Amino acid sequence: MTALIRVGKSSKTERDEIPPGTLYLLILKTVAVNGRLHGYEIAEGIQRASDDVLQVEEGSLYPALQRMLVKGWVTAEWGVTAGNRRARYYTLTPSGRKQLQAEISQFERVMGAIARVVQTA
Amino acid sequence: MEFIGELIRRLRMLRHRGQLDSDLEEEIRLHVELREQQLIDRGLTAVDARRAARLRLGNATRIKEKSHMEWMSEIISDFTQDVAYGARALLRSRALTFVAVISLALGIGANAAIFSLLDAVLLRSLPVKDPGQLVLLGTGSDDGIGNNIVNTDLYSYPFYRELQKRNQVFTDVAAIFSMTDSVHGFVVSKTDQVSTDSEIMHVALVSGTYFPMLGVHADMGRMLNEEDDSAEGTHPVAVISQSFWERAFNRDPDIVGREVKLGSAVFHIVGVAPHEFFGTKVGELPDIWVPTSMTKYVPPGWDFYSKNFTQCLNIIGRLKPGVSMLTATSNVNLLLQQITKGFSDADLNQKNLYKLNRAHVSLTPMANGLSSIRHEFSEPLQILMGVVVLVLLIACANIGNLLLARSTARARELAVRQALGARRSRLIRQLLTESLVLALGGGAIGIGLGAVAIRFLLRMVSGGSETIPVSAGLDLRVLGFTLVVTLATALLFGTVPAFRATRLHLSDSLKDGRGPSATSARNSLAKALVIAQVSLSLVLMVGAQLFLRTLVNLNNIDPGFNREGVLRLNVDAQFTGMKDDDPRLNAMFQQIEARVNALPGVKAASFSAFTFREGSWSEAMLVPGMPGNENNGVHQNVVGDRYFATMKIPLLAGRTFNEGDTATSQHVAVISEHIAKTLFPPGNPIGSHFKIPDNNQQVDYQVIGIVKDVKFSDLRENTKNINYLSYRQRPWSFGDFEVRYSGDFSAVSHAVQQAIHSVNRNLPIMNVTTLDEQVARTMTNQRLVAQISGFFGILAAFLSCIGIYSLMSYTADEQMKSVSALRWVPDDPTFVGWSYAKRWCLSQQVLSSVFRSHCWAVT
Repeated sequence: MTALIRVGKSSKTERDEIPPGTLYLLILKTVAVNGRLHGYEIAEGIQRASDDVLQVEEGSLYPALQRMLVKGWVTAEWGVTAGNRRARYYTLTPSGRKQLQAEISQFERVMGAIARVVQTA
Repeated sequence: MEFIGELIRRLRMLRHRGQLDSDLEEEIRLHVELREQQLIDRGLTAVDARRAARLRLGNATRIKEKSHMEWMSEIISDFTQDVAYGARALLRSRALTFVAVISLALGIGANAAIFSLLDAVLLRSLPVKDPGQLVLLGTGSDDGIGNNIVNTDLYSYPFYRELQKRNQVFTDVAAIFSMTDSVHGFVVSKTDQVSTDSEIMHVALVSGTYFPMLGVHADMGRMLNEEDDSAEGTHPVAVISQSFWERAFNRDPDIVGREVKLGSAVFHIVGVAPHEFFGTKVGELPDIWVPTSMTKYVPPGWDFYSKNFTQCLNIIGRLKPGVSMLTATSNVNLLLQQITKGFSDADLNQKNLYKLNRAHVSLTPMANGLSSIRHEFSEPLQILMGVVVLVLLIACANIGNLLLARSTARARELAVRQALGARRSRLIRQLLTESLVLALGGGAIGIGLGAVAIRFLLRMVSGGSETIPVSAGLDLRVLGFTLVVTLATALLFGTVPAFRATRLHLSDSLKDGRGPSATSARNSLAKALVIAQVSLSLVLMVGAQLFLRTLVNLNNIDPGFNREGVLRLNVDAQFTGMKDDDPRLNAMFQQIEARVNALPGVKAASFSAFTFREGSWSEAMLVPGMPGNENNGVHQNVVGDRYFATMKIPLLAGRTFNEGDTATSQHVAVISEHIAKTLFPPGNPIGSHFKIPDNNQQVDYQVIGIVKDVKFSDLRENTKNINYLSYRQRPWSFGDFEVRYSGDFSAVSHAVQQAIHSVNRNLPIMNVTTLDEQVARTMTNQRLVAQISGFFGILAAFLSCIGIYSLMSYTADEQMKSVSALRWVPDDPTFVGWSYAKRWCLSQQVLSSVFRSHCWAVT
């Protein structure tokens, strides 16, 4: 899994490398918070929640969603948007919730460790 | 669990790939449109917004591709990777791979071959429309032609017609003459020239309803229909089989309208049967189908078309939908009584009525067709199927053992891979793939071996010049069966070693596999496998010995005649067109006998109606003063003067036939010892008279001699009553000719055939062989089972030896690890040797116990 996230060009922050694999974490979290989202809403949701710092590379979003379907973390069903358009909505499964917990704790562990390394200076 | 769920989801997606594409397309379209809208809202022009939205999404096709990959990739890429890796790993240990693949190939090939025969003979349905609806009247265990008040297996033609009219349970009924006639016929060329060389043609007589009822349609032209069978002798038409079309007509596209000459009648070919259709009798493939209305014109000219009480037909019915076997059976039995009693010429005396009232027809499902060979071969084939399954199990145990032994060698490699983060399930999958590669390799070679083995088996089964035409071969069913067997073997021998090999104590294995716990467990498993193998092969060997013993015992049975040094052949006297009682025929036989008897190297030669297992002609022997002998059914054999000398059947009293016994002199008979004991009053029967009801008249015979009993149709039969008549007094159009000779078989055979042709140049000669061979052929079954089970018994023992060897080398390997430590123990070099010796003794014990039990089985 190469860098799937890139830092938004529109923001003023600098581009940094983002730990690989966090896209799943971000998608899982976003879907978990909102309950039922379609692809565009997920992309927008991540961007909004990160105050426009993180911008999902859209070319990677859909394959990632497919992989999560394979793994059984999310399920998809067709529904209708507020604008009365047909859209495919993703929902978390119990196994997806478990995966989210695992990813969060792993993320925190790694981030904590990095933070500790950085702070000892 | 997770893995299985994932697999199910992946497989489900595999079936809905189009769905995935259209879903993605719609999702992406929506995405782009929403983005576009957003950008327009921010103030971009429609064109710019559209461009930007597209740019941001990237290559839509690539997204689709990547999404597909998510569903597919892991399985496929892992699998190809595993296969490649597995193949390389297998090539590294060539000896092991060779042994494994060869033993698997033998096991799988044997299974494929036996299954193919089993399938063709026992399991496969007839290639006709809805074979499940077909039922046979009776059990199908009888064939021939006879005159009785009733017969529950064979029926007369008028009976078939009545049944067809009056039954309420069948959509239609068809009749087939119960024997396939072998006729020496001629192919008529396009220019109406009758070919000079006759060839043997197998002719089946069928009712006009036969093909329509079976739902068989012609490949070319038409099949026979009701019209062809409507009046006797009016429709000389024929349908030929594909193989006959190929053989005799070289696949002539203008076959419809061509002709064949059978006897004196010319038949017009109206159609060619479809390739897969072989009739309704498994193990027989008629060349020509002719309507029953033409029976008198097909040699030998059976006359049954209008005879109410000449039973010779098998009747097949197609059940109406929803009619149960029970309903059908009761309807048929009701009609059996009504129709039989309704015939104007029914002789309803008390005895016949009693017989008729007791007659009960049972219906037999016909989905698999009739078969004379099924009865004969079903048991041996089932035994052999069991044998080859056992062999395959042994091969599996063997390969499992080899893999187990190898996993020791690979322990380090596997440990390293696990340490590097490979999941155990992944490693198991890898090892299973290796087993699969091994099994598929074995399966592929096995199929090749199987194809050869099938032909070999068919020849063994047929035991003669003509191969039994069963369509055994590598069809889809057999290939499917082989594939299933192959996959099953891969799982069987691969699973346990794979699980064992990956259950590692990492640190121990990394230290060169010196861990004590895991290895000793593996050791005991290997031992268990070897024990299983040895005991299975023991079962096979003992079984093979018993079968061999049966064969030897059969071979040692004294048939009452001398099997050695007799040439026998068949001539087709019907070919001459002369009737049985034509004096010219009789003269021809006498002339042939005289010429052959005069040949150098010939001790005696004679015609006979039968020799051994060639059917029979039975008639009652009515001895005055002995009650209740109307039904004693004595086998009658019509022979030449020198028959007893040729067969070396000892004369016990009186004389045998000679030139003095002519058509006009007192009819005489030579009886077997058993007849003298059972059918005649005590005392010397020579000189006494008896009668034989022959062709509606009672012929008087006088006993002139008594000969020793002989076996007539089976080596294991109880002693039969056999009565011998002279062909000078009781004409017979022979088939069998026997010559007792000394010297070279082929020289005598050549001289004899020349002598026959010097009397009648066109008389067809067939089945030239020895009497010994003919008797041996009746033991085909036992020989087949004994030889094949013997072969596999030896193979199994060989595989077990490999198993023991691999256990030895494995334990030696273990030992080596301690040797390196022990080498530093001074003054005790014998210790290592001792510990090897101990194991060697152990394996010797196992081996010797195996051999001892073999010896026990032999004695």
